[in-house]
Amino acid sequence: MNDFSEIENELRKLRPAQPSPILFERIEEAMMNCREGAWSATQSRKPSPYNWLSLGFGLAAAAALVLFAAISMEHQHDGGKEIAQISRESETAPLRSSAKESTSSDKFLPAGATRLVYNTRNEGLQFARGSGQPLRRLRYQTRETWQWRNPTTGASLRVSYPSEEVVLIPVSGQ
Amino acid sequence: MQNLASHEDWKSCFSEVAPGLLLFARQWVQSAADAEDIVQEAFVKFWRRNHKIENRALLYTAVRSIALDFIRRDSRRARREASAISETDEFIEPQFEFEDDTQRALAEAIDVLPCEQREVVVMKIWNELTFAEIAGVLGVSQNTAASRYRYALAALRNTLQPR
Repeated sequence: MNDFSEIENELRKLRPAQPSPILFERIEEAMMNCREGAWSATQSRKPSPYNWLSLGFGLAAAAALVLFAAISMEHQHDGGKEIAQISRESETAPLRSSAKESTSSDKFLPAGATRLVYNTRNEGLQFARGSGQPLRRLRYQTRETWQWRNPTTGASLRVSYPSEEVVLIPVSGQ
Repeated sequence: MQNLASHEDWKSCFSEVAPGLLLFARQWVQSAADAEDIVQEAFVKFWRRNHKIENRALLYTAVRSIALDFIRRDSRRARREASAISETDEFIEPQFEFEDDTQRALAEAIDVLPCEQREVVVMKIWNELTFAEIAGVLGVSQNTAASRYRYALAALRNTLQPR
């Protein structure tokens, strides 16, 4: 390597061009943006206290479970009634009617359904494949609530969940 | 151990490495402004990832990778510019600050070195990287990096020898 010491010294005397002063300002600005970006990223990474979609799925699953339990209980009652009928054929009518009443007391009847549209967004026009007619795309964000009621006991069951619907409305030219 | 992320005075770190980094970036782009864009992106990326300044080889790797991406991205623009340059006599900012004609001749000799030799010389002379670091940046063995350096110096010496 000693053979090259002279040329190395000559090369070291050559000074590279200096960066423009604006470069420092630009880097400073970029670093500030990074800091702000990193801060906002950590903020946005915090879990939202209201995750409506998960809540909706959870409620829907809970409702399905309750309904399934109610139906299976009803089946069990029906089975019990049949056994009772077979074994007690000579039972009197009032007893049978009381058994029927006890079965009907477990029934939940639909009592109401509401659909509250809390946001509508116009997503503009689009063209369906193969169609020349434009369609306006509307997105509805809604909250649907279903209610069941037991007329005998007065107990009620209510399930509410968020939903989203996209509607395409044909736009006619005038 | 200095950490750029926690080191408030990043400017002093940058002012030390900036001229060498810019020269390194200029191996791939002709314009000084493009080289500054590349260096800015690499330095900010390096800083964001909390790398220590001792791992500066990573900074050169970033500059190299961004410069190559830049070339790929702007290949169409580069072709247009190349044709424009061939038609007009466009001014290209010099990579060095010359003091005399010998230095100018040396700079011109560096400019015509094969790219793979030139980048080793730039990293070794003006950025003071070790052969191990250079090998890491280029993804070659230390021996390869050292032999490219020797070939480059031999070529430069031959060019500058009085005839």
